[in-house]
Amino acid sequence: MRAARTTRARRAQALAQFAALCCLCSLALATEIPLYATGPSQDAAFVRFVNAQDRVLEISASGSKARTRLESAQPASPFYSVDANAKLRGRLQAGDQQGDIALSVKPGEFATVVAMPGAGTIRQTILREQPDDFNALKVSLALYNVDPQCGAAGLHVVGRNTTLFEGVGAGTLQRRAMNPVSISVQLRCNGQPAAATLALGALQAGQRYSVFVVPAAGSTRLFLAADSVSR
Amino acid sequence: MPASTLAGLALLVIGESHLSQANYLINPLHESLSAAGAKVHAIGACGASAGDWLKTTTVPCGGERSSGAAVIKGRDATTTPIKQLIAADKPDLVVIIIGDTMASYDKEAFPRAWAWQGVTSLAKEVGATKTPCVWVGPPWGQPGGKYQKNDPRVELMSGFLASNVAPCSYVDSLKFSKPGQWETLDGQHFTLAGYKAWSQAITKALGESPALQAMKKP
Repeated sequence: MRAARTTRARRAQALAQFAALCCLCSLALATEIPLYATGPSQDAAFVRFVNAQDRVLEISASGSKARTRLESAQPASPFYSVDANAKLRGRLQAGDQQGDIALSVKPGEFATVVAMPGAGTIRQTILREQPDDFNALKVSLALYNVDPQCGAAGLHVVGRNTTLFEGVGAGTLQRRAMNPVSISVQLRCNGQPAAATLALGALQAGQRYSVFVVPAAGSTRLFLAADSVSR
Repeated sequence: MPASTLAGLALLVIGESHLSQANYLINPLHESLSAAGAKVHAIGACGASAGDWLKTTTVPCGGERSSGAAVIKGRDATTTPIKQLIAADKPDLVVIIIGDTMASYDKEAFPRAWAWQGVTSLAKEVGATKTPCVWVGPPWGQPGGKYQKNDPRVELMSGFLASNVAPCSYVDSLKFSKPGQWETLDGQHFTLAGYKAWSQAITKALGESPALQAMKKP
């Protein structure tokens, strides 16, 4: 009888010790921070579309119902977030002209698909940038030149002896940081003043903008787009 | 003195895992700010990046403390959209403590475009409410550990935040200690002594921040 009581007592003590140990284990687990990622597996990637035509451009994505429409008065879409390195496919439509979209965007890259009128089809130029100049205290302004008639494009500030950009070849872009100001700019092609001028308005610190140089009937056209990101 | 500048202000503090455990930052910071006279509502969400505070996001753990004791949550924890929090609390000042969850310590490349998108979106969202805000950057950790925190990347992250959190003003936590000075549990999360030191430094910096000084001017 005495031996049985001793065994039961030992078992009870062992159970109590085990329960206490479990309690300690659960307390330890309760203060353990689960491992989480300190960032994405790869950087974000973005694509936008620009309508450099004088008619409506419709853009549709393959494999989804995503569509957007760009009027010539509002020619640039926001940047859309896309999966980096994924094959993006879709279709451009303007009047009776069409064109296929096929591109991929690298991590950290902002791609711009510019649609222009072509012979029987919509002509596309894709420009890409990987900015490292993000700064909420400065204006970021780019010059995108997609007009082959305007080689070595530049922008000169109207009324001031200041050049913002020079030597931007067709199919290329340049970007720079500047202070928030309200200015108008004049286009230069190959160092010579072109007819086109553009009021940029009050450029805001922390905002990113692009000035596009696009072909127009017998001349060159300029327009400004805010580089916003769609949410 | 910080006590006089913070006194009577309602602070909404949001952040990452540092604010998500009772023995981490949430309690010492709450106590330090409360001792300075502020009314504090602090919310932490483990692993939440800036963009996660624009929507409701489920996170692996979290913590919250307002007038009572801290409530620590597990896998039922979520973020709350910042606009919703500001509308409910109507704080005098928003304090954002985010940096370590966006630094990609274990990756070779810093995800600059992703970080820019998240940081500027959150700062602008707060700015749109006209609520002054202060962004507290990441402190030095101890190299290695399960998050692979390292000095060069935390320095890069802090510099990136300093340039991109406007209209919030920036508090550089790297100035509060020397690299490796505050002991950590895992390279990134501090022992209570480290969290107490960080709390005191944040409270002092908030009291002196331009956002607060501008608010106190008649």
